[in-house]
Amino acid sequence: MSLASGVTITDECINKFNEFRMTGGSKGEKSKFIIFKIADNKKEVVVEEVSSEKDYEVFRETLASAKDNNGRPAPRYAVYDVEYSLGDTEGNRSKIIFISWVPSETPTLWSMIYASTREVLKNALNIHTSIHADDKSDIEWKTVLAEASGGKAGK
Amino acid sequence: MNPSIPPSTAEYGGDEVSAIVLDPGFSTTRAGFAGEDTPKSLIPTYYGKYAVEGQERLIFSDDVFVTPRPGLSVHNPMGRDGIVEDWDMAEKVWEYSFTSRLTGPRPGNPFQNGLNDIADGELPTEMDGVETEEKPLADSPLLMSECGWNPTKAREKTIEIAMEKWGTPAFYLARNGVLAAFASGKASALVVDIGASNISVTPVHDGMILKRGVQHSPLGGDYISSQIRALFKTNTPQPITITPHYLISSKAAVDAGQPSLAKYKTFPPEKAPDASYRTLLEERTLSEFKECVVQVWPGPNKLSATGPNGVSNEEVAKNNPGRPFEFPDGYNQVFGLDRYRVVESLFDAKAAIPDPESPFSAPTQAQTVPELIKNALNGVDVDIRPHLLANVVVTGASSLLHGFTDRLNQELMQSYPGPRVRISAPGNTAERKFGSWIGGSILASLGTFHQMWISKKEYEEHGPTIVEKRCK
Repeated sequence: MSLASGVTITDECINKFNEFRMTGGSKGEKSKFIIFKIADNKKEVVVEEVSSEKDYEVFRETLASAKDNNGRPAPRYAVYDVEYSLGDTEGNRSKIIFISWVPSETPTLWSMIYASTREVLKNALNIHTSIHADDKSDIEWKTVLAEASGGKAGK
Repeated sequence: MNPSIPPSTAEYGGDEVSAIVLDPGFSTTRAGFAGEDTPKSLIPTYYGKYAVEGQERLIFSDDVFVTPRPGLSVHNPMGRDGIVEDWDMAEKVWEYSFTSRLTGPRPGNPFQNGLNDIADGELPTEMDGVETEEKPLADSPLLMSECGWNPTKAREKTIEIAMEKWGTPAFYLARNGVLAAFASGKASALVVDIGASNISVTPVHDGMILKRGVQHSPLGGDYISSQIRALFKTNTPQPITITPHYLISSKAAVDAGQPSLAKYKTFPPEKAPDASYRTLLEERTLSEFKECVVQVWPGPNKLSATGPNGVSNEEVAKNNPGRPFEFPDGYNQVFGLDRYRVVESLFDAKAAIPDPESPFSAPTQAQTVPELIKNALNGVDVDIRPHLLANVVVTGASSLLHGFTDRLNQELMQSYPGPRVRISAPGNTAERKFGSWIGGSILASLGTFHQMWISKKEYEEHGPTIVEKRCK
């Protein structure tokens, strides 16, 4: 076991994520992203928002404008369903990417808690593709696309 | 609050533990309560030893600097490579770091402390089962930090001391590279730690150190001191000898570059402290010199290179305003180009100022910061290198040298023009000096951290080897 905060992942996170993974096609409207946060009691990760908004920029803006109770920039985790096309022969693909967002203004206390809980959440959701961002330029669409497609799409 | 309902755990703070965080370095040992911003107890890891009537006495903490006692010698339980060499003394220094300021001294034997003396005419009460010696950490969980190359044996010895000698109810040993990365909000980072006896580069990925990539070399703050000493020997207009304050009885103002007019104190040989005492005090002047005068050539390119418009970098550095420094004996001088030269070999081994008398052998290029980083990256999977370069975390007190991060940035951009290089270095001095302590302080203060601790019971069941399994 690597060094971790011990902050737990609520069942809600797992359930919402499983729904998120299963939806789409005939099963109803497809969710595009989930934003998670660590509750103010510093004990558990909870779901903040599930959305089916298709515009990536809306997601990016939502994540980057996350605020704490005092209105200062705050860290978050997110999962995003990246859809991309590999051209006519390979067709369309989709991949779920895990994003940790810890803006550089974050107080050390919260940086520490988010960094030391990241692997626990990522492993609980069983996602292997991830990026870490502390600046809005880290989560531009082309970066996310390149990471999700293993560098194959968006060239 | 309704008195008939027992308070819930959250109310009486069932999860709150007054854990102690201990971050032992070569130059200083940092200790404090978890949850606080900075370590309350900051003591030198150096200790003093002298004899009174054949009895050996030890001096800890800042007291070691104060009095030049006859025969006082200065020692350090840590090896220059950051691994403990003298375990008995390391235990004593570390114990001093928390008992002096945090937990209070060990209570004495209750049979002898005077509180239980039997008054005349009273029968002795039953005193069986009274612990004769209470252990200093019996009430406090302890989180300690260690360097990434600490061998298994040393880790097991550490938990043994914590559990058996100090009696801590719970223990955790964290890699300081991981703590520094986490404190910057990153689970994956390349941690560049510029300490006193060592500089190290630790790749951290998904919260784990990648052992194959960990690199370290001795070009830390003490090495820079040795370079400054080398510079002073060949200084113009005259060589500079550092005379510590305890050897000076009075000084007079002199013009820059003029010989000192100080009156000196002398100690007859039988009253004089050991040479190691003088060296330690000289080191304090050198620290001041490093803080006020020394500057890293910011780049681009080496100090010895020629700039874009044909002017050599040395020429540019020479024309930058110099910085004055006054030594304890009153000698003072303005340092120009030389203040860049003393640190240049951290980046360019050829620039080292030669000194055959120095305890440090001449540096090799492989020991420099850019090469350590290159080797650290070569030791890890090619896919994660860009992630590490985008998250370079700079920590350690010697990284506060003026211009250090600027130069590091230049060097990295030159060596890795493709991937995005980004350095994060806390601007706050305390956060840079105590990066790993602060990280440990936050973790150990979290109520949820209790599941990470190795409890006394687990230790008793599995022995010291449990530390390898639990503290990865």
